[in-house]
Amino acid sequence: MNMHKRSTFWAQTCFASTVLMLLSLFAFSQGKQVSGKVTDAETKTPIPGVSVQVKNTSTGTISKPDGTFSLTAPENAVLVFSFIGYDSKEVPANAASNVVLKPSVKSLQDVVVIGYGTQKRNEVTTSVATVKAESFNQGGARSPMDLVQGKVAGLTVTRTSGNNPNSSASIQIRGITSMTGDMEPLIVIDGIPGGNLDLLQQDDIASFDVLKDGAAAAIYGTRGNNGVILITTKKGKAGEPLFTYSTYVQREAVAKKPGILSAADYVKIAGENNNQGANVDMYNMLLDKNNLSHYHNFAASGGTANTNYRASIYYNDANGIAIQNGRQQYGGRININQTGLQGKLSLQLNLATNFNKANMNGGRDGDFEQAVQRNPTAPVTDANGKYIETNGFNNYNPLARLLQEQNWRDQKTSSGDLRLTLEPINDLKISAFGAIVSDEWNDREYRSKASLSSVRDYQGGGYARKANRSEKNRTFETTVDYTKKISDHTFNIMGGYSYQYSTWETYDMSNNGFLTDAFEDWRIDAGNALNDPKLPRPSMNSRKEDNILIAFFGRLNYNYQQKYMFQAILRHEGSSRFGANYKWGNFPSVSAGWVISKESFMEDINVINHLKLRAGYGVTGNQGIPNYKSLITMSTGGAYLQNGKWIQTYGPEKNPNPDLRWERKKEFNIGLDWSILNNRLGGSIDVYKRRTEDLLFDYSAPLPSLVLDRIYTNVGTLSNNGVEIVLNTVPVKIKDFSWNSDVTFTFQKNRVISFSNDVYKATQQFYGDLPSPGNLGMAIRVVEGGPLGTFYGYRFAGFTQNQADPRDNGKWLFYKKDGSVVGTDQINEDDKTVIGTGIPKYLASWSNTFRYKNWDLSVFFRGKFGFKILNLQEMYFGSKKWSPNNMLNYVLGRDAQLNDAPAYSDYYLEKGDFVKLDNITLGYNFHLKTKYIKNLRLYATGRNIATITGYSGLDPELQDTALDSGIDNRGFYPRTRSYTIGLNIGF
Amino acid sequence: MKKRNVYIGAALMALGMSACTKLDEKPYSEVTKDNFYHNKEEVLSAVLRPFTHANAWAAPTGQLGYWRVSELSADQLAWPQKGRHGYDGGNWIRLHNHQWIANDDNCWNPWRLMFWGMGFCNATIKDLEGLDFPSIGMTNEDKASIIAETKVLRAWHYLKLMDLYGNIPITTEVGVPATPETKSRKEVFEFIEKEIKDNVEQLQKLSPSLVGRVTKAGGYAMLVELYLNAQEWTGTPRWDDCITYCNKIIAGDGGSLSGSIPALEPNITNAFANTNSASPEGLFQIAYDFRSGNFRFGWEGDFWHYRQRQIYNADRDGNNGIVVIPTAYDAFKDNDLRKQQWMLIGLQKKDPALRTSVADSVVLGTEEYNGKPLVFVKEIRRNSEGETGEGGMTRGEENSGARFAKYLPGKTDDPNYWGNDFMLYRLTEIYYNKAEALMRKNGGQATQEAVDLINTCKKRAFKPEDWAKEAYTTTTLTMDELLAERGREFIFEGKRRQDLIRFGKFTTASWWDHKPTSDKYKLFAIPFKQTSINPNLKQNPGY
Repeated sequence: MNMHKRSTFWAQTCFASTVLMLLSLFAFSQGKQVSGKVTDAETKTPIPGVSVQVKNTSTGTISKPDGTFSLTAPENAVLVFSFIGYDSKEVPANAASNVVLKPSVKSLQDVVVIGYGTQKRNEVTTSVATVKAESFNQGGARSPMDLVQGKVAGLTVTRTSGNNPNSSASIQIRGITSMTGDMEPLIVIDGIPGGNLDLLQQDDIASFDVLKDGAAAAIYGTRGNNGVILITTKKGKAGEPLFTYSTYVQREAVAKKPGILSAADYVKIAGENNNQGANVDMYNMLLDKNNLSHYHNFAASGGTANTNYRASIYYNDANGIAIQNGRQQYGGRININQTGLQGKLSLQLNLATNFNKANMNGGRDGDFEQAVQRNPTAPVTDANGKYIETNGFNNYNPLARLLQEQNWRDQKTSSGDLRLTLEPINDLKISAFGAIVSDEWNDREYRSKASLSSVRDYQGGGYARKANRSEKNRTFETTVDYTKKISDHTFNIMGGYSYQYSTWETYDMSNNGFLTDAFEDWRIDAGNALNDPKLPRPSMNSRKEDNILIAFFGRLNYNYQQKYMFQAILRHEGSSRFGANYKWGNFPSVSAGWVISKESFMEDINVINHLKLRAGYGVTGNQGIPNYKSLITMSTGGAYLQNGKWIQTYGPEKNPNPDLRWERKKEFNIGLDWSILNNRLGGSIDVYKRRTEDLLFDYSAPLPSLVLDRIYTNVGTLSNNGVEIVLNTVPVKIKDFSWNSDVTFTFQKNRVISFSNDVYKATQQFYGDLPSPGNLGMAIRVVEGGPLGTFYGYRFAGFTQNQADPRDNGKWLFYKKDGSVVGTDQINEDDKTVIGTGIPKYLASWSNTFRYKNWDLSVFFRGKFGFKILNLQEMYFGSKKWSPNNMLNYVLGRDAQLNDAPAYSDYYLEKGDFVKLDNITLGYNFHLKTKYIKNLRLYATGRNIATITGYSGLDPELQDTALDSGIDNRGFYPRTRSYTIGLNIGF
Repeated sequence: MKKRNVYIGAALMALGMSACTKLDEKPYSEVTKDNFYHNKEEVLSAVLRPFTHANAWAAPTGQLGYWRVSELSADQLAWPQKGRHGYDGGNWIRLHNHQWIANDDNCWNPWRLMFWGMGFCNATIKDLEGLDFPSIGMTNEDKASIIAETKVLRAWHYLKLMDLYGNIPITTEVGVPATPETKSRKEVFEFIEKEIKDNVEQLQKLSPSLVGRVTKAGGYAMLVELYLNAQEWTGTPRWDDCITYCNKIIAGDGGSLSGSIPALEPNITNAFANTNSASPEGLFQIAYDFRSGNFRFGWEGDFWHYRQRQIYNADRDGNNGIVVIPTAYDAFKDNDLRKQQWMLIGLQKKDPALRTSVADSVVLGTEEYNGKPLVFVKEIRRNSEGETGEGGMTRGEENSGARFAKYLPGKTDDPNYWGNDFMLYRLTEIYYNKAEALMRKNGGQATQEAVDLINTCKKRAFKPEDWAKEAYTTTTLTMDELLAERGREFIFEGKRRQDLIRFGKFTTASWWDHKPTSDKYKLFAIPFKQTSINPNLKQNPGY
């Protein structure tokens, strides 16, 4: 509450100072009137919004919607015309009546968003990738990140649960940088750090800019370790009012189903005594074959150079391949820009909101697992329509669960931000920015009285739950930005302050013992568990947490003739999450660029159009850890009797650590941008070396004398090196036909350098707990000096054969450390060894765009290489011992002789390498001879069309952005191909 | 003029900034140590934390603690692999075969849990010593008594740690020293003895309102355990000291949960029933009340079958883990009520309230016997595949082995449903211990007093008509018979490993498929996880 007040106070203070300065403004100009018109060299159409400036002065204007401009300029002045997407042009004022601008090719003049400002592409000294709307993956995107999947070298976007509309993608830049903290990049939407991706619709996004290296990300200091993704939405534009409507319909079709045994094969293996007579394909019954998703986005934009807007509304009904698995959402986004006070004060306002209603009931891994293992001869219902439950361990009827339970989420997300920018003198910009992002949801759940859960756990009285969560993230930032040009030297200085206050709060309650299903969860007090102590206890809980992040930051840019560039950044930032002694930290970076192609010695080498060397070094941090970790909190341990009453007990929850501090990443990046043969062939190569130090982890602590065996502290070091190569080519460009082909390639290597200091050690860490039955322990071990994601297990030596008792055949044999061969009862921890790695070493993508007259075709491939997959589906379901449950068809093939319980060894590791034909889109652009329609495009897209792999499981593309990567869990959500037909129209 | 305004603006900004550089955390839903101990309830809630923690290691509640390693390494209980279930990384097989290594959860997890509980005691003692009791409405006598209780409780943690690991570090203050050094078992023994004796007389006498707490009765019982094992642990027998403290307990010097002196229960079930918080046998127990405290002695995970709730009309099922070793089952005579009532064997029927028809009266299996009646058998072998012979640890099935039924929860509508306390020390054990001390003093020969002590207890396990044949005499109660009878009486109570070691059988005897092992296994290894970060720890011999 306090902090909230303080930030309001600060906002007022700053606003007052801004107004003060505003009042002091005045401007004057003198000279001769110049007027003219700016047109596009190719389309011959007028270009509105072009900046027209008198060279070496601050005098300037912007072209009107019809391309015309007028301003007052001295007699011999030279005018500079510049506009995004076009090459700048200098024209003498007396020859400026008709100015033609050429669109830039792989435009080096493109503006790159770098956080608290922008830079021209050719001035960038760090590793920043940009993807603009025209390069987005096409088709229906479930998440905004789907739009750039595979488009940026070093950026991994993975979707582990197929195309489930209620799942999100996991994102990572340049591999793993933390063991316990956040591993996903910071998302900044229109300048709001920590923006919410739910607020973005694919047609509202203008570009993604990805700050990959430390030198670039240092401007976001404590949140820069995992890189930064800056998303810019489409904004209002001066000019003729424009309406756009985008729509698509999409259907998911199963790409691959698990190889479940047929009823006949099942009976052969499980025995006639398990034959219940029916023949049911339960997996099929959980699919919604007629699923259809549709999407509509309607946008309007227009206005003048001084006041313009863009507003859009959308509706999206997304249905997954699973039944009871959908999401309906609608919302809108408004952008208003106004410039006034003689062009000295500008305001930008963005409001966005999203309402969605998600059916969370279906699409769960557990239901599909039940469908896979359900006895295929068991009927779904009995003669009376009552659902039949099979009797096996942990069995339930998934169809019954889906139909007898419900689980909904109603979510509202919104954000509003306002930026006021004052330009009291030319090239000095002072801006104040305030934003609030709020995310709230209500969950509701009801399990009807007849459901299995109700009957088994709630004495048949049904179960209801309601839960609510509310998150708010408030930001206030202010920046001062000044550019000074002294002959060939250009300086830019930016400084600022940032304050963010985030809170979340939840409450959650449940009850049971309902007389009737009529209320569902809408009258939770009707559950008799409130009064009847013999029913399972109703539950209630509430929680709230907060945190504060405060920063001072600055950036200096210098360039000489756009040939030599230099940039330095410093962010001084504090987070409430850290120990009393270490709340503040400094995050500096320096980088430089040299455009070799502008040197005189290169002038004669015409084949090279552009050649630039970049190098940078930056320090960033990671504050993505839970709140209150440095405080000595007390936790509960169950009630105990004191003075006749049962009272909760409390004890220290953790070993105290007042020295808890930032994880720091030091990153060195060197890059080369090049372009040759008239820009027909170009690209970049970046080599990076990262070291994350002071790695936060729950380290083993001496026990005794500490109370707990773990302490959350900064000890280890992680290294992360890689190479990223981007190749842009135009193999064919002739009249009516062009072919663009882009390749990205990433090589990455993670390694734990150390895990220990004098006091705390973590010589080895384990991940990937293998599930019951069998509780086989952890699949992945990380050791000091070793790579992340290393499978650590037994070495398979064969199966027992020719035993005296044939029942003893087909038992596991493993190698012991000394090479001898033993069974499962003689093997122990010391016999485990490194058997593979689950994190891909190489990632690649290849995108092609063909254009022929009005047709365009894009074909996009993506692949990951150099990793292994632990196939848990085979391990558990591919064994006869899984009977009396149904099994996968491995039991008829590779695992036919296996006659033993699950055991973890290299037997179940497979090569995971794959190539996917990820997206293929065919489009047609109508050029209609009517003044009513400006553009019309019709397209058809197929996604995830084919996968080339040797992997025998459902999908070799696993979540590979975590410490337990490479384990193909027992999730049987079907992988789908998506087919989309879409239409974009502008009028 | 423009410039000046810029300066003013910058100055105002700087002012605003300095007002907003505070980074305090407000823990809304958590309580910090600095904001605790405001009243008696808060003080006691910290004092009692190690008691609820002991639930995790002293009782069979699903964690790998003192109870599990004490029973699964001995001759009565095992957790065999049952088809695809229960291999669990081979942990239970290694416990059974005595094949554990320093880098083994069997060595690490009991250490972790028990020193953690000990650390709670250290933390509480330190916090309370610095607390001004009168200022929060408590007396200095309260303070002395509470600290004495916590110190005796801490000594009990050390007693049980010493039992498993022998040579261990001793710390009495959190974090001091950072890496404590190993003390010999003799030093640890002396520390425990001194701590208990220095504090036990300041404890309160056991009374119904102190159920579950460490009182004089519990403190004396700890001394009894310490002295009974003194010869094994230090090389010096202390039989007289053992008898002295047995006598104090029996005489009621330590108080009782019922009346002025503790008394044996008249039957073999009361001490374990869901009303046992008032059992006159109880000396020290972990107290639970599911109805009022929503906290229970959750043994179902370790012991129960996947469908076992149907047998009792209970609300939970189990993981089908721990079963009785066939030779231990056979160590009971058929007419022994403990065999009939503390174990499940044969066809399992549903609680009548859960039967929907006559045909539906039987609990069904879910694995090897999927859909067929669940019939527990004493063998641990692949009966469904026609196996004969003694079976083995990897050869179990879902119905293998007789099952635990010593503690029963009652039905879900029972007002005391699952209110059972877990008995740590009960009077019967004091009788057995005194008898053993008397016999050992007497060169391993039973005295009449010893025979009477055992017979008084054992008599409850037989019908009156059988008793005449079953009663011991000074000739039939040999040391071997005493060990066997201890096994029958205290099965499932987490005491068997200590007994086997004291009787010299732990590493020398065979049972079922278990073969004799080396003497090094009388101690568990100091866990590798700790020796690798604390250079002052010394590994036990042989590891």
